[in-house]
Amino acid sequence: MSAFPLVLDTSVVRDIARGDPDLIALVQRYDARNQPLVIPALAITAACLDARSEEADDLLGGLELLENATIAPLRGAEQAMRLADVIAKTALDPWDAHVAAVADAAICPILTLDAAKWRQPSADLDEPLHIVEISDPDDE
Amino acid sequence: MSETKARITITVDPQLSAYAERLVETGNATSVSAAFNDAMADKAYRDRRRRSLWLAKVEQSRQDRVDRLMAHVDEQLTDDQ
Repeated sequence: MSAFPLVLDTSVVRDIARGDPDLIALVQRYDARNQPLVIPALAITAACLDARSEEADDLLGGLELLENATIAPLRGAEQAMRLADVIAKTALDPWDAHVAAVADAAICPILTLDAAKWRQPSADLDEPLHIVEISDPDDE
Repeated sequence: MSETKARITITVDPQLSAYAERLVETGNATSVSAAFNDAMADKAYRDRRRRSLWLAKVEQSRQDRVDRLMAHVDEQLTDDQ
């Protein structure tokens, strides 16, 4: 278990909304292990825009019901300006920029399905991000 | 529904309070308390449906693959520390 909360990026939240059973089971098992999880609100927005269905909404809403998961809102002028700063520095879209802003502020690892997309944004920020890829070694 | 009601004091957003009162005025709720009771009952139903959906998805998962995915994540987290 990580001492730090794990931040789910948009790729993970999108696939949860699409109903990926293995990914949902992984998140559920981390929650059962009392691993703190953080889901940036804008990652949920991205996933909701991607998968427009009642089931997707229920799967996304289910994230909020996990015992050890916290939805990180975009709150107040400081956080809004910090998000703009991350977008300007990295050229990330607002959804993943919110992920980066949350992870950067709290020094938390980012869980992603695509580590490669984070390499350049991580280099663009003042401090590198800790990227952890969810991948099956048997698929490589 | 329980026949014995619990008495609680809640603080709500003014627009939601106004909406609840409107429901009563238009005959769509028997009281403001009933309006908030119904809203909470709806949330309880929705949360149960969402938990059930998550559990159904977990039952569809391939446990051996999830084991591998978690082991790989844990390995990276250990390397980072």
